[in-house]
Amino acid sequence: MHKVWKVAVRDYIAAVKTKGFIIGLAVVPVVMSGSVIAMILLGDQVDTTDKKIAVLDHTGFVAAAVIEAAEERNASAVYEKKTGNKVKPVYLIETVEIDSLNLNQQKLELSDQVRADELHGFVEIFQEALHPSQNWDDTHIAYYAKNAALDDIRRWLIGPINVKLRSERLKQLGVQDIDQDELFAWLSVEGRNLIEKDAETGHVQDSQKSEEWHAIVVPIIMLMLMFILILMGASPLLNAVMEEKLQRIAEVLLGSIQPFQLMLGKLLGGTMVTLTGAGVYILAAIFATMQLGIYDIIPVYIIPWFFVYLILAIFMLGSIFAALGSTASDVKDAQSMTFPAMIPVLIPMFILTPVLKEPLSDFSTWMSLVPLFTPMLMMVRMGTPQGIPMWQPWVGLVGVILFTILSVWASGRIFRVGILIQGSTPKLSKMIKWIFKG
Amino acid sequence: MNAVELSGVTKTFGTLTAVDTLDLKVPEGRVYGFIGPNGSGKTTTLRMIMNIYFPDDGEIKIFGEPLRGAVSDRIGYMPEERGLYKKMKVGDLLLFYGGLKNGKDLASEVDRWLNRFDLIEWKDKKIETLSKGMSQKVQFIATIISQPEMIILDEPFSGLDPVNMDTIREAILDLQKEGRTIIFSTHDMNVAERMCDYIFMIYKGKKVLDDTLEAIQDRFGDDTIRVRLTNPQVDLNRIAGITKINNFGQIQEIRTSETADPQNILREILNLTPVRSFEITRPSLHDIFVRIAAPESMEENHA
Repeated sequence: MHKVWKVAVRDYIAAVKTKGFIIGLAVVPVVMSGSVIAMILLGDQVDTTDKKIAVLDHTGFVAAAVIEAAEERNASAVYEKKTGNKVKPVYLIETVEIDSLNLNQQKLELSDQVRADELHGFVEIFQEALHPSQNWDDTHIAYYAKNAALDDIRRWLIGPINVKLRSERLKQLGVQDIDQDELFAWLSVEGRNLIEKDAETGHVQDSQKSEEWHAIVVPIIMLMLMFILILMGASPLLNAVMEEKLQRIAEVLLGSIQPFQLMLGKLLGGTMVTLTGAGVYILAAIFATMQLGIYDIIPVYIIPWFFVYLILAIFMLGSIFAALGSTASDVKDAQSMTFPAMIPVLIPMFILTPVLKEPLSDFSTWMSLVPLFTPMLMMVRMGTPQGIPMWQPWVGLVGVILFTILSVWASGRIFRVGILIQGSTPKLSKMIKWIFKG
Repeated sequence: MNAVELSGVTKTFGTLTAVDTLDLKVPEGRVYGFIGPNGSGKTTTLRMIMNIYFPDDGEIKIFGEPLRGAVSDRIGYMPEERGLYKKMKVGDLLLFYGGLKNGKDLASEVDRWLNRFDLIEWKDKKIETLSKGMSQKVQFIATIISQPEMIILDEPFSGLDPVNMDTIREAILDLQKEGRTIIFSTHDMNVAERMCDYIFMIYKGKKVLDDTLEAIQDRFGDDTIRVRLTNPQVDLNRIAGITKINNFGQIQEIRTSETADPQNILREILNLTPVRSFEITRPSLHDIFVRIAAPESMEENHA
C-alpha cells in the first residue's frame, strides 16, 4: 500500500503542477457553459437600426391595427427608460395598396427593395385569415424578408395581427365593447413543490414555487460537473500509461512494484486530481451562490452521494482507460482508442433531455442503473426537484461497486500483460484472452 | 548462501520457449555475467528474477526465499531500455525510485551518489535537460539508491563513452566490495572477461556455459594462438593445422587442430612474414561465444 501511495502522490503532483491543469480548471467550465454565458452576455447585442416593413393587406382592416401596435411599441420598448439609450429597433410600418392585377410583379418589386435594403421585409395578410377554419392548410399570413424564419419581426407580427382578427371575428358575431384582455386572459399553470409539515412546529407549510430554471439548472450542473471531473481524473490515464510504456519507464517501475499496485496507484492519483478539481468547483459554487443569494439551490444532501459516485467512477472508468493505454503502441493508437473509451460518459450526455423531463420513467430508472452510466445519470435524477425513491441510489451504488471491482480486476489483468508488450496493438479478442488466461 | 537460485525454470510465449528448464545458482557477493546472442533468453531470465514475468514452470528463490513482492525490494534492477520521467527533477526522481524500494537514508544517498558522479549541480534540474550520458548515470543511481543487496543490470554499458563506462564499472566493483551481488548482461566479451567472477551463457533458452572464466577456458583447451604480424595481409589459411582464423586487423587469433604443433605453425608463418608477437593461449570468451553461437547463425545466413 505504501508503494501504491508513492505512485499516487507522484502522479498527483505531476498532474496538478502543470500549467495545463490550472488553466483547464478555469477554462473547462467556461467552455462547457460558454454558449449559455455567451447568450446572456450577447443577448442584448441587437441591431437597433430602424426597420421598415410594408404590409399587403387583403382584408383591408388589419394593417391599421399593425401600424397602431407598432407605434405603441416604438413609444414604450425602443428606448431604455432610465438611460434613454436605444436598445431595440423602431418598426416603421407602411401599407402598400394592392395591385391585384399584377400582384406577383408587385411582390417582386417589394422583394427587390428588400434586397436593396430600402425595405426590411413585407407581410401579406390574406382575405381568408379572418376565417381560417374554412381551410386550415392554406397560408393566411406570409412574411417575406432576407432571414424570414428567424426574424424577430415575424414573431412580433403574430400578436397585433391576431388580436385584430380576433376582435373582427367577435364583431361579426355581434359581441362588441368588451374587455378583450379579460376575455382572452391566458393563464399558465404554476409548478409547486409538495406541501410539507414543519418537523419542529407541526404546522403545515405552504409550498414554494417550483421554478423551471431551478429544476433544470441543478441536475445539468451536477451532470456537467461529473462529466468534467471524470475527464479530468480518468481519461488522462490513457495517455499517461501509454507514455510510461513507450518511454520504458514502466519496466523500471515494475522492478519495484506489482503491475496491479502500479495501476491502483495511478487510479488513486487520478482520484486525487479529480477531488482537487471537485473541491475547487464546489467551493466556487458555494461562494458564487452565497454572493447571489441563491445558496438554497445547492442540494446539500446529494453532495456526499456526488463524491462517492465520483470516486467510484474514476476507478471504474479510469481502470478501463489505463488498460487501454497499456495496450497502445503509439500515440495514434491511443487517439483512436479515446473515442470508444469515452462512450460511457457520452451516452448520459446524449440522453440527458428525456431523463431530465421524466426522471421517474422506466427508461430513466433503468438507464441510471446501468453501472457505467449510474454516476452521471443518478446525479441528474437526484438533482431534480421531485427526487427519486431512496432505494435507487443505493441499488445503483451496489451495481457500481460490483462493476468497479470487475473493471479494476479485468483491467489489471490486461495492464499486467499489455504494459510490457512492444510492437503492434493487440486486438480486442486478445485482450479478452489476457483477462482470463493472463 | 545463494543470492539467486533457479531450478527447472521454463517460460514460453505462445509457441516460443524463451527459457527452457533453466537451473542457475548465483552465489552471494559475486559478479555474475550473463552473455548470449540477441533473443537467447537473457532479458526474460532477468525479468523472471525480478518477478516481472512469472515462470510457467520451475522455482525461483532469492536469498533462499521464494520470490515475492517484498523480496524484490532487496534487488535493484536496471532494464535494458532506460526509462526516466522527463519532467521530473533529478533529485525528486531518485527519491521516488528509492522510495518505491523502501530505501533508507535516501536523501543522503542521493547527494553522495550525485557527488560521486559529478551530477550534484543537476539535482534540481529536470531530466529532459540532461545529456544522454548523464541520463544513463542517473538511471544507474536510481537502480542502486535504495542500497539493494543484489543489483541486476541489463546491458549497463551499452551506449556509454569510455569515461562514463569506467565510472560505472568502478561503481559496480565498489558495490561488490561492499558485499553486494551483481548480475549483469552484456554483449561486450572484454567487459565480461575482466569483471565477472562467473560467466553464464544462455543460448536458445538453454544454459550452455555456467562457470568461472578459467574453468570455461579450460574446457575449450589451449588450441589458440594469437599472433601479430609485420605484414597482416598474408594468407595463413594455407598452413596445415590451422582450422580457423579470426582476423582482428592488427591481431589474428588462430585456432589449431588438436594434433597440430604450434612450433611448426610458427615456422610456417615465419616463412611468409616476420612475426612481431606470438602467444599460445586459451580461447577468448569472444571466441568461445562465437564457437557456440556462430554455426547456427552461419547456417541461418546461408539459408
